[in-house]
Amino acid sequence: LAGIELPLKQWPELIEALLSNNNQLPAHTRQATLETLGYICEEISPDVIEQDHVNKILTAVVQGMNSAESNNDVRLAATRALYNALGFAQANFSNDKERDFIMRVVCEATLSPEVKIRQAAFECLVSISSTYYEKLSPYIQDIFSITAKAMKEDEEPVALQAVEFWSSICDEEIDILEEYGGEFTGDSVIPCFYFIKQALPALIPLLLETLLKQEEDQDQDEGAWNIAMAGGTCLGLVARTVGDDVVPLVMPFIEENISKPDWRQREAATYAFGSVLEGPSPEKLMTLVNHALSFMLNALMKDPNNHVKDTTGWTLGRIFEFLHGSTFETPIITQANCQQIITVLLQSMRDVPNVAEKACGALYFLAQGFEDSESSSTQLTPFFQDIIQALLDVTHREDAGESRLRTAAYESLNEVVRCCTDETAPMVMQLVPLIMMELHQTLEGQRLSSDERDKQNELQGLLCGCLQVIIQKLGSSEPTKYVFMQYADQMMGLFLRVFSCKSATAHEEAMLAIGALAYSTGSDFAKYMSEFYKYLEMGLQNFEDYQVCAITVGVVGDISRALEDKILPYCDGIMTQLLKDLSSNQLHRSVKPPIFSCFGDLALAIGENFDKYLMYAMPMLQSAAELSVQTSGADDDMIEYTNTLRNGILEAYSGILQGFKGSSKSQLLMPHAPHILQFLDSLYMAKDMDDVVMKTAIGVLGDLADTLGANAAPLIQQCVSSRDFLNECLQSEDHLVREAAEWAQLAIRRAISF
Amino acid sequence: MAPSDLRRPYKRPQLSDQQRRRELSLKRQEQSRDAELHARRLASTLLSLPPEQQPSESE
Repeated sequence: LAGIELPLKQWPELIEALLSNNNQLPAHTRQATLETLGYICEEISPDVIEQDHVNKILTAVVQGMNSAESNNDVRLAATRALYNALGFAQANFSNDKERDFIMRVVCEATLSPEVKIRQAAFECLVSISSTYYEKLSPYIQDIFSITAKAMKEDEEPVALQAVEFWSSICDEEIDILEEYGGEFTGDSVIPCFYFIKQALPALIPLLLETLLKQEEDQDQDEGAWNIAMAGGTCLGLVARTVGDDVVPLVMPFIEENISKPDWRQREAATYAFGSVLEGPSPEKLMTLVNHALSFMLNALMKDPNNHVKDTTGWTLGRIFEFLHGSTFETPIITQANCQQIITVLLQSMRDVPNVAEKACGALYFLAQGFEDSESSSTQLTPFFQDIIQALLDVTHREDAGESRLRTAAYESLNEVVRCCTDETAPMVMQLVPLIMMELHQTLEGQRLSSDERDKQNELQGLLCGCLQVIIQKLGSSEPTKYVFMQYADQMMGLFLRVFSCKSATAHEEAMLAIGALAYSTGSDFAKYMSEFYKYLEMGLQNFEDYQVCAITVGVVGDISRALEDKILPYCDGIMTQLLKDLSSNQLHRSVKPPIFSCFGDLALAIGENFDKYLMYAMPMLQSAAELSVQTSGADDDMIEYTNTLRNGILEAYSGILQGFKGSSKSQLLMPHAPHILQFLDSLYMAKDMDDVVMKTAIGVLGDLADTLGANAAPLIQQCVSSRDFLNECLQSEDHLVREAAEWAQLAIRRAISF
Repeated sequence: MAPSDLRRPYKRPQLSDQQRRRELSLKRQEQSRDAELHARRLASTLLSLPPEQQPSESE
C-alpha cells in the first residue's frame, strides 16, 4: 500500500508513525517495523522520501543493527532493511562522519555470531561496492581482512557473499577501465582506485584456495553454485581487470596441482588456467598455451575423472575463443596439431553429456577462429564432413537432453556452417534436406505430454536457427544461392507450420529464419505473402513475448526491402498494427525504436503511397522526438535508450523523405519540415548524441534539402543545424559522420541555389 | 530483500548462439537500410551533377 500511496503523497504520516515504534515497543514489533521500512525502501524510488525521513530511517536501521541490540531477529531485520535503504543514502555516504558510522556498523555485523546476520551484512557490502565504489578507499583494507576470513572459514552462504564482493569490485573496475578506453586522464568522470591490483598478491591465493573446495558431481547439477565455482568466476573477473599481472601469481598453483593424483587438485589447476585466459595479453599467454595444449588434449581424452574432463574441455574452448583467429600472428592451430585437436574433440563428443557439451563448445570456438578466412579452404576443410557427421550424431543421442548437449551441438553446427568455404559449401547444401526432414518430423501430429512438447518446441527452435544460418551462408554467394533456392518453397512451408506450435522461442526462430529467407529471395518472396501475412500480424500483436514482436518488426523491414512496392497490399494492416504497438503501454519500450525505423523502411518501399499514413505517423514521430530530447537526470541506460529512440525516429524521417523524393506529393512533407529541423536543432543543443545518431541526424538534414529543395531553403537557412551542426559533423573523426555531412552540404547547396 | 544468490555464468560463454543470431540479424537489417539510403543519396547526387563536374569541384 505504501508503494502506491507514498509516491502520490497520500500517506505522509506513515514514516513518522513507523519510526515512533522503534524505541519502546516489544522486540517483535520493532522487527516488524524494520521489515516494513525495508520493504518500503525496496518498493519505492529514492526521490519519493524526503532527506529528513531518509536520515531518520537510516538512524533507526543502523540503531537496530548495532551490536548493542540484543535481539537477533531485530538485528537481522535491520541489516536486511539497510540493504534496501542503501540506494536512499547518497547524501549520507557523501558525509564522512555518517558514512564512517554506517560502514562501521555493517563491518561489525559481518562478525555477528548469527550466520544469517553475517550473510545479510556481506550482502550490504556487495551492494555498497557497486553503489558507492568511489567512497570505499578508507575501508578497503578492513574489508579485505573481513572477506578473507569469511572466504577461508565461514559457512558457504557467507563465504559466497565475500567472494561476490570482490567480483563486484572487478565489475566496477572493468567498467571504469573500459570507459577510459585505454586513456586514463585525471579528468575522467569516475576514478579507478585499482583496488584489485593492490589486493592482488593477497587475493589470488585466497581465490585459488576456494577452487579446491569442489562438490562431487557439481557438473551434473545445472543449478549448482558453490564456493569453488564462485572463486573461479571471480578469478576470471580479476584476470580481466588486471591483465598480465595475474599470470605469474597463478602459474605456480597450476604447475603444482595439474598432475596430482587427487582429482580436486587437477581440476582446480585446470579451472585456474581456463579462468585467466581472458584479460592477459596474447604475448603473455601464447607460450604457456602452446606448452599446455597437448597436455589438455590428453587430459580431455584420458583423465579418469569426468569433472576434470569437463573443465579441460571448457579450458580448450577458452583457448580457442581468446587466442585463435586470423588476427593472431602466431597461430595456436597448426597443420601439425589440427588433426589431433579435431580427433580428440570428436571423440569427446561421445563422452558423457557434460563432457560432450564442452567438446561441442570447444569446437564452436575452434570453428569461429576460421570464420573470417577468405581462402577457399582452411585447416578445417579436410575434416569438414566428419565434423558435421559427428555433430549430427550428437544431436541424435538418447541423452542429448542432458547438460544442454543438444543445444551445444546445434550451436556448434551453426558455427561450422558459418565458416564453410567454396570447397565445403556442397556439404552444407547436403545438410539442408536433412535438417528440413528433422523439422518436418517435429511437426507431425503426435500426442505429447507437456514436458515432451517443451522439448519438441526447443528442438524446432534449434532446427529453425540452423536453417537461418544456412540460408544466410548459402544465400550470400550467387552460385550456392541458385542451387539452394530449390528448397525455398518447402522451407517456407515448414516455417509457417512452426507458427501453429505454442512456443515463443520457436516462433522467434522461425521468424528470424523467414527474415533471412526474404533477404535472400528478394522480390520472389511475394509469393509467400498471402499465406505468411497472418503470422506476421500475429507476431506484431505479441506484446507478451516482446522479443517475438521485435523480431517481427525487423522482418517487416526485410520484407519491405525485398518486395518494394509489392508490399503495398499489406501496408494498411501492417501500419495499423505498428501504430497500435507504438500507442501501447503494455509493449516493452525496446520495441518502439525499431518500429520507427520500420516506418522508414516501408516508406522507402512504397514511396509516395506512404502519403495516407503521414497523418498518423508524423504526429507520433513528432511527440516521440520531443520526448527524446528531454533527457535531464537520465541514467546511462536511459541515455542509451534515448539515443536508440532518436536513431529510430531519424531513420523514419530519412526513409519518408527519401521515399517521397521526386514525387509530385513530396510537398505534403513541407508542413512537417519545421518540426524535423527543430528536432535536429534540439539534438545539436543537447550535446549528448552518440556518433550513430549524429550520422543519421545529419543525413536527415541532407534528405530534407534533397527532397523538398528550394521550398525548404529558407527554413534550412534559419536553423542552427544547417551551419554549426553541419560544420561540426564535417570535422568529425568518424568517417561515416563526415560522409553523411558532405552529402548534406551538397544537398543544401543545391536546394539554396535553385 | 533481494535474493542473495548472485549466480554468474559458470563455464558458459557470455553470449549464446541464439543471441548472436538475433544480433547478426539486427546488424544485417541496419546495414541493408544504410546501404539503401546510401545508394539513393548517391543516385541523387550523380543525377544532379552537370556532366563534366566532379563532386569536389562543385564545392
